[in-house]
Amino acid sequence: MDFIVLGQQIINGLVNGMGYVLIATGLTLVFGVLRIVNFAHGEFYMLGAFLTYYALTLFGVDYVAAALLATIAVAGLGIGANRFFFRPLRKEHEFTILLSSLGLSLLIANGAEELFGADPKYVMSPYADEASEIGPFVVTEQRLIVFAAAAVVMAGVYWFIRYTRMGKMMQATAQNPEGAALTGINTDFVHGYTFALACGLAALAGALVAPTAMLFPTVGSWAVLKGFIVVVMGGLGSVTGALLGGLLLGVVESLGGGYISLGFKDAIGYAIIIAVLLWRPQGLFSVSRSTR
Amino acid sequence: MLNRRITVAALAAATAIGLALSPAAAQQKPPVKIAAIAPLSGAGAFDGQLAVEGMKAMAEVINQRGGILGGRKIELVTYDDKGTPEEGVSAAKRAMEQDNVDMIVGGWFSAVALAQKEVTRDKIINVMTSSQHPNVTEQGHKYLFRLNATSTMMSDTYSKFICDKMKVKSVAFITINDDYGRLEVENYKKLLASCNIEVKGNEFYNRDDTDFTTALTKLKALNPDAIYVSAINTSQGATIYRQIRQTAFKGTIIASAGNMNPKLIELSGPALEGVYCVSLFAPDSQNSSLKQWMTQYKKDFKNEPSFIGSLGAQAVQVLAEAADKAGSSRDYDKIAQTLKSRKWDTLLGQISFTDKGQAMQNIYLVQVKNKQIVSVASGS
Amino acid sequence: MIKGRLPLVVAVLGILPFVVGNAYLQHMLVLWAIYALLALSLNMIVGYLGELTFGHAAFFGIGAYTSAILSMNYGLPVWLGPFAAAIVAAFFGAVIGYVALRIVGPQFAILTLGFGSILYTITNYWVDLTRGPMGISNIPPFSLPGLDIDFTRADRMYYVALVVLLLVAYGCRALMTSRTGRAFIAVRENAPLAASTGIDVFHTKLLGFTIATALAGVGGALYGHYLRVITPDLMSLQYVAALIIMVIVGGKGTIIGPIIGAGIYVALLEALRVVGSLRLVVFAALLTLCVIFLPGGLVSLWRRYAGRQAAGGAS
Repeated sequence: MDFIVLGQQIINGLVNGMGYVLIATGLTLVFGVLRIVNFAHGEFYMLGAFLTYYALTLFGVDYVAAALLATIAVAGLGIGANRFFFRPLRKEHEFTILLSSLGLSLLIANGAEELFGADPKYVMSPYADEASEIGPFVVTEQRLIVFAAAAVVMAGVYWFIRYTRMGKMMQATAQNPEGAALTGINTDFVHGYTFALACGLAALAGALVAPTAMLFPTVGSWAVLKGFIVVVMGGLGSVTGALLGGLLLGVVESLGGGYISLGFKDAIGYAIIIAVLLWRPQGLFSVSRSTR
Repeated sequence: MLNRRITVAALAAATAIGLALSPAAAQQKPPVKIAAIAPLSGAGAFDGQLAVEGMKAMAEVINQRGGILGGRKIELVTYDDKGTPEEGVSAAKRAMEQDNVDMIVGGWFSAVALAQKEVTRDKIINVMTSSQHPNVTEQGHKYLFRLNATSTMMSDTYSKFICDKMKVKSVAFITINDDYGRLEVENYKKLLASCNIEVKGNEFYNRDDTDFTTALTKLKALNPDAIYVSAINTSQGATIYRQIRQTAFKGTIIASAGNMNPKLIELSGPALEGVYCVSLFAPDSQNSSLKQWMTQYKKDFKNEPSFIGSLGAQAVQVLAEAADKAGSSRDYDKIAQTLKSRKWDTLLGQISFTDKGQAMQNIYLVQVKNKQIVSVASGS
Repeated sequence: MIKGRLPLVVAVLGILPFVVGNAYLQHMLVLWAIYALLALSLNMIVGYLGELTFGHAAFFGIGAYTSAILSMNYGLPVWLGPFAAAIVAAFFGAVIGYVALRIVGPQFAILTLGFGSILYTITNYWVDLTRGPMGISNIPPFSLPGLDIDFTRADRMYYVALVVLLLVAYGCRALMTSRTGRAFIAVRENAPLAASTGIDVFHTKLLGFTIATALAGVGGALYGHYLRVITPDLMSLQYVAALIIMVIVGGKGTIIGPIIGAGIYVALLEALRVVGSLRLVVFAALLTLCVIFLPGGLVSLWRRYAGRQAAGGAS
């Protein structure tokens, strides 16, 4: 019996963790390529979920199409955000850029509260309530989809960065912006699509996770915090780190909440991070900075 | 959202034309200002919105009848307390010192009410609404009133029903970590033990949590016959009910007192069908003042009338009538004395106030049937 | 910048409550003075040490709880509360700083976020001591032995907060012109270089961090005894964000900047009530515009102006 509960908690943790992974990957890419700690990242998660809701209710498309539409739309918004809120500040102090992202985050969150209304929304997915029982374990189809879709997307992102021309340009810009510019890479262009990719991933996370809980305009602040924790734990700028860090955080929270105290779930997550950072300040999976 | 704007604009325009045409100069009299302090942003924003809408609809009903005190209209001034005590205190200060309101309605959350009552103490009539903590009225400040039944009153009624009718042998609790949730668990542990229902466990969650699968997995593993959900916030409540179903819990769900509303039913989906709850608000009641209010509410707002809205409406109704009978909106000794001296026919039925300002209300047992809230039997 | 005019500034600040006249605006003045004090303390870390912290609100909360609990349960005279708050907050600051300051940059920010969040969770769940999410209400207001002054009134409390603010501002100035202050700047600008000139980088940072947390504790005590109600929300990120906004909008690394920033923050949020529910949207928009067009904060306007004056004079 106890073994079943343990297994169930690990499954819960892995699913939640996969949501964190998608959020954190975008954050870590933006940090790696642009050196920006983007506080507004969580708002793109929120927008992804809300746009999915509106695509479902206003256009009447099915859930999968709505999720894709929302992801693409938010990716576009990401390009705009970079263009207007971050590019003008490229040469400024990092705290100034951080405050700009904080301002953007407040702007989107409060604007959303005004625009979407205070009533909680629910993204109706046909897979949300159907519980599949796999042996003694219970998982809803929606949660399986979160995990599977995120796994596929993460493989795609890895392939994109590693093997495509655009991905290699991102790597070059991340390692040495001036050098990359000298070899003829248009770093503005690279920054633009990095933002699009990052915001698209956050929106996809929102669209996937939305049917498991109610939706309200302030969920973004929650998302960005989880993202930060994962990014720092995994190693700033590392996609593999975001993947492993996200899954680890999900499972740790789930087990900590399940076996120690639910109220201390977040605190346990933070305690792990503190331990990790003190042991390996550059994060668990980061490549050494000296290779830069 | 947009539709509501247009409706509001249209209403305003219609009123303006109506006023311009009406020959009487009743408008010369100053309005009676009532402060509506509610959570309008953050986690409790939706419930705050429902509350304020309920108050506005009732103010409209009264104003259409010609207002109070010989033609003075009621004007609501809204403040956002963000659900936090500090903001509640600031809002009350602003209402009293800057906007010079006549009376205050607030205290939707207990923590806010407990802090706010110290600022308004003995200075202004202050009606607390949905907060359930006994301490709000325990000391009995002379201008302080509270409408909702205390959680102790609620759980006394509800536990009798759970013991006698529900046929459950064991219950597990998922509870919000605040004074309301903590007090509920304490009460039920005692009350249910007295009729041999075993309390198998309790998990506290926080006001900003969105995922409850960890807690529910843990509770489900205890194998209780029923899970009691203590949640006031609509969005969190709906998430919990949905996730109970998603974890394939097959037992009974018991909904906490007072938070049943149409939006919650809509959001929770099939999980809430057949679930019982105790409430002061039974939408199918035949009370004429309730019907009038509900008609006005549905005309002005896109949301459905809810418990929390009806409580706001009751606050406005009682204050308006009391001020009218006392013959003043500022003579607080007289208004307080009037409030305590008689019974009041409100949209939620007849109520009276104790010496400490606590309202004695009817408590209904309601059930969700075919996505509607229907009353089952009247309680005390 | 305001060297010769200091007495004038103090005089103006002194008569402000009479000028505004109304109790609610006086309440705003008190909030400004307390926020300005907190912004100055955060500025010590952000502006002088050059590190970003997300845990600062936790020390604000520790100060508020320390003073409230000691004065209510242990009979500590209320006016000693801020001192006790400073000591306890500094203790936590020193311990956390000792652990966290070994790491710099974004990782340091996340470490402080983690410590802040753990302190918040403990406050929220240690119900026997802190009353958890219910918060503590009915905290005794300030009082002076032998004097019958009602310090719950904003026009009285304002002077308490103002005196503390001026003392702290003066202290910051004295510190920054001292050897220690120059060591802070050296560490901020180039830590390895500072180390090579014999500055103990770690202990310099730890000193700055501890002073900053002690000041935040004082701010918390003033806040608690004034509003007379505190909850764990004091430790939430919302307050950290507000303080960061004040420091950077005003101008980090200066003394006048955070004080002005706090004033702008309080005044703007109040003034924007006229736009109704759009209040926070407009606030965020103004904030973002201000950052984009005035990255150095409001004090940079003064520098630009002064620079132009100087250039004009020379020609």
